[in-house]
This record gives sequence, structure tokens and C-alpha cells, in this order.
Amino acid sequence: MTNQTNPTVHSAFDDRAHAERPAADSPAVMSAALTRTRVATHKQTFARGLVSEWIKLRSVKSTWIGAGAFGVVLVGFAALGALLTSSAAGAGPQMTDPLSTVLMGANLAVLVLGALGALAGAREFGSRMITTTTVAVPRRWKVVVAKATVLTAVILPVSLIGVFGAYALGMPILGAHGATTVALTDPGVLTSLVGMAGYLTAIALIGFGLGMLFRGTTGAIAGIIGGVLILPMLLGSLLPDSWDVVLQFLPTSAASAFTVVAGSGGMVLSAAAGVVVLVGWVLAAVGGAGVSYVRRDV
Amino acid sequence: MIEINGITKTYGEKVAVDDLTTTIRPGVVTGFLGPNGAGKTTTMRLIVGLDRPTAGTVRVGGHSYAHSAAPLAEVGVLLDAKAVDKGRSARNHLLAVGATVGIGKARVEEVLAMVGLTEVAHKPAGGFSLGMGQRLGIAVALLADPAVLILDEPVNGLDIDGIQWVRALLTDFAVEGRTILLSSHLMSEMQLVADHLLVIGQGRLLADTSMSDFIHHTSHGEAVEVTSPDAGALMPLLAADGVVITSTDASRFTATGVSSDVVGDLAAVHGLRLHNLTTVTASLEEAYLELTRDKVEYVGGSRLAMAA
Repeated sequence: MTNQTNPTVHSAFDDRAHAERPAADSPAVMSAALTRTRVATHKQTFARGLVSEWIKLRSVKSTWIGAGAFGVVLVGFAALGALLTSSAAGAGPQMTDPLSTVLMGANLAVLVLGALGALAGAREFGSRMITTTTVAVPRRWKVVVAKATVLTAVILPVSLIGVFGAYALGMPILGAHGATTVALTDPGVLTSLVGMAGYLTAIALIGFGLGMLFRGTTGAIAGIIGGVLILPMLLGSLLPDSWDVVLQFLPTSAASAFTVVAGSGGMVLSAAAGVVVLVGWVLAAVGGAGVSYVRRDV
Repeated sequence: MIEINGITKTYGEKVAVDDLTTTIRPGVVTGFLGPNGAGKTTTMRLIVGLDRPTAGTVRVGGHSYAHSAAPLAEVGVLLDAKAVDKGRSARNHLLAVGATVGIGKARVEEVLAMVGLTEVAHKPAGGFSLGMGQRLGIAVALLADPAVLILDEPVNGLDIDGIQWVRALLTDFAVEGRTILLSSHLMSEMQLVADHLLVIGQGRLLADTSMSDFIHHTSHGEAVEVTSPDAGALMPLLAADGVVITSTDASRFTATGVSSDVVGDLAAVHGLRLHNLTTVTASLEEAYLELTRDKVEYVGGSRLAMAA
């Protein structure tokens, strides 16, 4: 049967088909030979899965809108915080440390990244694109690891740019108004800034894990807001001091061990322990998402 | 080749697929029929591992699809054409899916041209019409030139050009020795394109047979349409065991269980005039309705005696 309505298109297909196909006697032989050639050239590898996830992440607007919103919030609040602090600084000694001042937008910016992560984890379930993805990469663990890797590769640089941008904009404002400043070479400053970028990325990954686990953004974003913003404050003020031992293991509290975010309770882990605890949260969220995706029907 | 061996899939209490065993062979187009909710889509999802069977196994090309080395090159699937990210362009959608098996721009452009979407490839897939979405879904299935093609309602929403193109494509693929499993509610379309049929109802296999056998055995087979001014005299002469005559008006009737040769000869012997004598082949639609009607009665547990 020939296609009379669209001959060019159809012949293009035929040419390709014939060019690639070795002559064979029976259809079965032909089919087997074809499958072997195609399998050899079209192997599914982890690296190819990474490329696919990168194309997906960069080809939706929400990724770049989210990243832009994050930058605006972080850098905008840095300028605002520096100006407010400077105007108050003339009267007496500063109450807050300069690093906290220029990074005061982080508490809001982290929610933007958490939501961005949640969307990265959940959106394929919303659109049902996940069925196509799962057919293309049936070894499902590879999908989860590729998605998390690509998300990290985007969010970590964005976080670093945002954090150092906030520093670069905020510190001169403080300095110009005669307020106390810190330099990158001062002890702990560089670690704090890099640590902050790490914390922001970790929350995005936890959001990603929750999004994939709940298969929807609503629960995941609620989880991020609750876990990062509400829970630490609520528990810190409601629970007796004896609970501080437990509270220091919350993600934000753990991050306060190596950055300037405010945790809950009075106790703070060592920087190394804080990193370990936060990485543990990330692995639990992403791992939980992986187990759920591997086990459940999609 | 798709080998389905005793698969059952239950969702809670509901049995979607019930102990299904069949082999879908290469080189022919296998049509998959059944009422809504009969388990066609679930079976397709089980084949490519989107759902896990409660019992039984499925092998595609000799192994479980989950262990496929080059998934898209082994099986091309169209299950739900609307399962695309609304904000992503058609081209990026294909690039992302193709990238999983190393398919790049050149092949993506080729497939876009094949399905006639080149002009709109830069537009978000969410704005596509049903037919355009369907073309994109077919493009995904064809990306890696697969050995097995599984298409759920592929012509749904396609215009006549698209339908003819899909028809030609499927025929070509079968000739090339590929395995094709196709579901459709359009019986006339299925009759044109499928060589073999799987019919399921309530998750169970009702028929696994060639198209011609299905039509011949399930329906009353061929019928003879007769127009004759002497119909009143001819009809009693044809009466015999197994012959059913339906009279439409004084000069026209349809007879089943008797060939046109017999009708013609009888008329000649008795000097009766014939104005029209046509053999009518039963359609897939009639055969399918016959089969599923029986099934419904059987399930209802009260097999009524049919009139006539």
C-alpha cells in the first residue's frame, strides 16, 4: 500500500528502512538481524539517561523562572538587608553579623529552590510523561539518579552564583555606610558561603525526593515549607530544652552547623556532623523516592 | 515476538487481566480488540513493564522488557499521546526521549518529517490538537526504528491522511518482519490492517485467531443478497436446515447458509427471474459483536435462546 497524500514523507522512511536493512530470506531472520544492529547502536546507558534528563530540565520554562526568582530574592534581600542594617548602624554596634545580613534572603530563597526541586520530581507524574520515560529507561533507578544528578548540576551553580552575588552586592553596601564587614579571606567566611550553597542545593534535592515520592507538587511543597520553615520554629519554641538533642538533626538545624541559617534549639552539631546529617536527609528523600518509583506501577 | 505467559493483573479487588496467555508473532499485524475496560491497555502496560503482573511473565524478544539493553530500539510504544509535558516543544520532547538511546537531531528531524510535524515542532506540545498529539506519540514510538511496535488506538483523532499513512506504515512494518500489536475501536480500520486478532473481554482471552477465521467462524459467514420479482416463489425453494432467510420487501431477501451458486442454479431450474445476486462477506464488526454478545450472555448466567 502506498501513501498517495504524502509521498515525500513516506519515501524518506522507506529509503532509510532499506538502507539500514540487510537482505534476508525470511522475515524472522531479517527481524533478528535488525534487532542486533539496532541494539548495538542504540544501547541505553546511564550517560545517555543524563543527557535526556538535562534536555528535559533545560527545555521547560519553570526551571529558569525558578532559578531567576531564587537569584532575585537572594540578591535583592542582600541589598535590602545591607541598606537597613547600615542605616541603623550609625547609632551603635551592629547586632547581627554581616554574613547573616547579606544572606537574609536565604530563608525565603530556600523555599523557591525547594519548590523547584519538588516540581522537578513531580511534574512527569502530573503530565504522565513518566510512562514514556519509564518505557525509554526501564531500569528505573537510573532515572532517579540521572534526575537527581542533573538537578544538582543546575542548582548547585545557581546557588553558588546567588550566594556569592548576595555577598558581592551586600558587603560593599555595608562597607560604604561604615558598618562592619567581613572579607572572603576571614576565617570561616568562605566555608559559610559555600556551605550555604550546599544547604540550598540539599533542600532542592529533598524537595525533588518528596515530589517524586508523593507524585505531586502540593504535598512536596507543603513538606518543604513545613520541614524547613514551620517545624523548626514550632518545635524549637514548644518543646523543652531537653529535646534540643533531637532538634539539631532537623535539616535546617544541621545546616546551621556550617552556615549562617538559624536552626532551632540551643545545640549545634559540629560542621562535619552537620554535613553528614544533611546529606543523610538528602539520601533518605531521594532514596525513598527511588524505592517508591521502582516498586509502584507508573 | 511477544510471549505472554499466564499474566494476571489485579487492582485491589478488580481483575484487569485474567490469566492471559498468547504469543504475538512477527511479520503480521495483530489486532487487539475488546470492549472498554476489557484489559487491552493494561496488557500493553504489562508488556513494557509499566505495571507489574500479579502473576505470570511477559517476554519481548526473548527477555523481560526490564532487562532490555536498547529499550526504544526493541519496542516502540504509543499508549497515551497526551502523556507529554505541556510546556516542552515537540522537538525537545523527541530529543529528550531519543537521547536515552543516543538518538540525536538528525533522526529527530527525520521522524518529525515522517509524521508531518516539522512546521510545529518548536511549539509547546500542550497546545497540540488531538491529531497532532497522536502524530507526536507515533513519532516517539518510531524514534529508534523498533523491532516491536505496540500502539494503543493510534488512529484516534487522526485525519484521513494520517490514517492512510499509519495503515501503510503498519503494512510495511509487518512485511519487514516486525512485530505489531495494535488496538483500535474502529472495526473497519482494524479489518483493513490486521492479519491476526486477539479479542479479550473482562481480562480473559476470547479469541486468538486469524482475521479470516475469526470472521468466518464467529459470524454466520457469507450471506447472499437476492433481488427477484419472483422472490415469493424462490424463498420456499431455498428453505433447508441451516438456511436463514430474511425478507426485506416483496422482491428482496437475504439468505445465509446457502451459496450464490445454489441460489442461481435453483432459479434457473425453476425458470425464476434474478435481477441481483450478490455474495456479502460478513464484517469484522458483525463477527465481533456476535462474539461479545455471546460473552455478555454467558457472563450474565442466563443464556437465552435466540429467536430464529
